[in-house]
Amino acid sequence: MSRGNKLLSSLLWFVIALLVIYPLSILIIESFKVSGTDGSGIQNYLEFFQDTYYLKTFWNTIVLSTMVLLVSTLFGIPLAYILARYRQRGKTIFTALILLPIVLPAYAGVFAFIIFFGKYGTMNLLLMNAGLIEKPLNFIYGFHGLVFIESLHMLPFIVLSLAAGLTSIDPSFEEAAEVEGASGFWRFITITLPLCTPTYLAGAVMVFLWPFTDWLTPLILGQVDFLPSVAYINIAYHFTDTHRKYMGIVAVVVSSIVCITLFLFARWWVEKRKYTGLSKGTTAEGRVIEPGPFLKISSYLYMFFIAALVLLIPIVLGLSAFSRRWVFEPFPTYWTLDNFRVILTESPGLISNSFLFSGIALIFGVVFGLPAAYIIVRTRVPGKDALDFIITLMLAFPGIAIGVSYLLAFWQGIPLATHWIIMPLALFARRLPYFLRIAHASYLQLDVSLEEASEVSGVGKFMTFINISLPLLMKGVLVGVVMFFIMAFQEISTAIFLYRGGWETLPIGIYLNWHRGMEFGISAAMAFLMIVITFILLLIIARIGGGILKAAWGGPGEGK
Amino acid sequence: MAFIEIRNLVKRYNKVTAVNRIQLDVEKGELLTLLGPSGCGKTTTLRCIAGLEKPEEGDVIIDGKPMISEGFVPPSKRGIGMMFQNYAVWPHMKVYSNIVYGLKLQKISRQSIKEKAKDVVELVGLQGLEERYPGQLSGGQQQRVALARALIRNPKVLLLDEPLSNLDAKLREKMRFEIKSLVKRMGITSVYVTHDQAEAMVISDRIVVMEKGNIVQIGSPHEIYDKPASRFVADFIGAMNFIPGEVVGVNSGTNEVYVRTEFSEKLLCRSIGSDVTTPGQKVYASIRPEDVEVFAEPPQAGDNLFKGVIANKAYLGNFLFLFVNINDTLIRVQAPHQLPQEEGQELYLSLNPEKCIVLPE
Ligand SMILES: Nc1ncnc2c1ncn2[C@@H]1O[C@H](COP(=O)(O)OP(=O)(O)OP(=O)(O)O)[C@@H](O)[C@H]1O
Ligand SMILES: [Mg+2]
Repeated sequence: MSRGNKLLSSLLWFVIALLVIYPLSILIIESFKVSGTDGSGIQNYLEFFQDTYYLKTFWNTIVLSTMVLLVSTLFGIPLAYILARYRQRGKTIFTALILLPIVLPAYAGVFAFIIFFGKYGTMNLLLMNAGLIEKPLNFIYGFHGLVFIESLHMLPFIVLSLAAGLTSIDPSFEEAAEVEGASGFWRFITITLPLCTPTYLAGAVMVFLWPFTDWLTPLILGQVDFLPSVAYINIAYHFTDTHRKYMGIVAVVVSSIVCITLFLFARWWVEKRKYTGLSKGTTAEGRVIEPGPFLKISSYLYMFFIAALVLLIPIVLGLSAFSRRWVFEPFPTYWTLDNFRVILTESPGLISNSFLFSGIALIFGVVFGLPAAYIIVRTRVPGKDALDFIITLMLAFPGIAIGVSYLLAFWQGIPLATHWIIMPLALFARRLPYFLRIAHASYLQLDVSLEEASEVSGVGKFMTFINISLPLLMKGVLVGVVMFFIMAFQEISTAIFLYRGGWETLPIGIYLNWHRGMEFGISAAMAFLMIVITFILLLIIARIGGGILKAAWGGPGEGK
Repeated sequence: MAFIEIRNLVKRYNKVTAVNRIQLDVEKGELLTLLGPSGCGKTTTLRCIAGLEKPEEGDVIIDGKPMISEGFVPPSKRGIGMMFQNYAVWPHMKVYSNIVYGLKLQKISRQSIKEKAKDVVELVGLQGLEERYPGQLSGGQQQRVALARALIRNPKVLLLDEPLSNLDAKLREKMRFEIKSLVKRMGITSVYVTHDQAEAMVISDRIVVMEKGNIVQIGSPHEIYDKPASRFVADFIGAMNFIPGEVVGVNSGTNEVYVRTEFSEKLLCRSIGSDVTTPGQKVYASIRPEDVEVFAEPPQAGDNLFKGVIANKAYLGNFLFLFVNINDTLIRVQAPHQLPQEEGQELYLSLNPEKCIVLPE
């Protein structure tokens, strides 16, 4: 092991220590502080777990998580089955559509569904005009709406992970069950699904954790009794009330602990239960079947249904963005570019800030991520597994935890938060795993002998990396770069705590506009802009050839 | 009437014809082997019997009941047991659950399921492992689980697709005999797929040799070895010298055939089929290495006696093979140890006319 590798590894550890370990420790320390005194203790935690309100919040969040997981799984199973097992035309386009929510920001969906399914939204007005209902139905305000919106948002995780399982289990397992006399549904329940559990779990855990992370969707729907929303309100609105602030911090820590524990548990379980190995002489292609006419039509209808729900998001936001005064009408009647004019003239900074911060975060990401991938995949530097572990953990950390901890750590301690550089730094820390996992995966596929050949011919490690590895990694790295950019561009949970006047990004703009005036037009136009930008970036990924699926979710496809 | 009748079976994958109009009868209680090189259609044939593939044409009749022509009978309704090449033991179930999976689908009391499981577990020698997961078993043990699972429902038919190919050589030999004696004891009609000719010779009542989706010969191991129907069969099973030549005379009474070759005007051979009878026909005079007698000194007179020079040798541990050059034709022989073995030395070969057969070109 060379000294260079050690030096590199120390540098990476320094960055991790400064941007991850230090702020998170501050967060934990703060959570033990007792309001009104200089001392600390476990009072806050005791209060949290004795106070009926916080307990109820905690319980609500668990119920919401369970429901979201249940609903997305129920809807995801047929979808994954169709995508993995049926030979059907247009499957690619449907797949892309159905998986779209993974790259759309959650709040974009919320706005779209409020406009469409809200009290006097399109759906209700249409139904009332048709005389089918007297009074508007409550489609989304309430727990059921929350479950619906979050399930749709997380559906891709379930579908992707289940489909990965369905295509990778050995066909002979199912054939053996068939021969043993188990037909159809029973075989699916007893053999196929259980064999998919390891891959399913990898996606399911992300779904279950989402309600512990997403504070904004409940807030917009007027439902605040969920752990992250309560934490947000306590910290953002009551910063001067130290007791409420500390309780908020406790809520953040509790959420984080739940997330990390479940995430680690799922990882451990998946690792233990990996049913590996497609045997020789069998092909997954062999399980792709031509569905009968009834199944074929049903599955098309089903895919149309889900795809339509997903498509509602850009369509409704688009309609709203190009119109004004869209109220009490099923569809807008007054078309205008006003919304965009307002955005461009009154707050052009939003867009340029978004690009600037995401861009700088991206540079940090590449400068840090490539060497990190190299250290993790190609060297035996001590502690490299710990490095990998910590970065992967960031995937499970709620954004709010990072935002709050940065606020606490870089305001007084290390005064970074007074400079706008804190914004890209926070985005970098939060979205790091997205880039690293893709870089990591493409590094694993790069045959080490190609690099060795270069070194044998007398080229140093660094030049070998520049001349050989980087060009070969380029495709994977580019996909990772774009994906990182997309995820950084729509980040809000962390940024919302750190921005100051003049540092607002597009997502923050969306939030503030909604928050101040309940004026959807401008928010919708901003969200629409965001979707357009995301779309363009996705097209770039598709152009590079990474495939949208692989880019969006390194998970199941990555484990080769 | 045979227990399994395969009639005119055709299975195509896109443009590849994997199985091409196969006709085959399997008698009740028989252990029949499908043997052939990779890609010849063995697995496909087996999967058609199981119902895991739908053939384009033809029918499979099991115990008098057509499986295809009168409505497709799915695998789950065919009453067969099957062993897969990779065992296909379900990794998420314990050994016991694996074995009784199929039984539980039938309406049988818990008690009798338990009893049957106990019997079959003893039969295959898995006692004490019932509560383990397959991941905690060796390859050989997993293979026994697969066998137990296939046998527990007393299937009418047992299908085995290279069940031993993942085991090491020693264990493979042992399991061959175990499977054979088990299947014979239970009297189950079995179809066994393998590409290992030695395995086929040991376990089969009859062997079906396949080539490119066609059946080229059906017969007992002895028949296949002694009277191969073609050069392909002879070559695939055991070693054989093929000496190109032309029929110059036929003695129709005794099935003796005279063949002119590079080194002999009148090599005496026997015909085993009726198709090699016309003078002028191009044939192979064929003889297995172990049927060639080798002498250091010219023996008393005899038929088919030739003098040759050792051109090459190959030592295979238990045997020494020599390649003897007779007038530019190389003959492979199995050399006794007391004879000269060095390259360049002279030997006398007797191509035993009883064992030298003619095969069509
Ligand atoms: N699912 C499939 N799709 C397309 N072609 C197939 C499929 N299964 C088998 N084939 C083709 O059919 C032919 C026969 O295959 P089969 O599996 O029956 O061979 P086999 O005799 O069992 O060979 P092996 O000893 O290698 O297992 C081969 O040419 C194979 O490529
Ligand atoms: Mg095969």
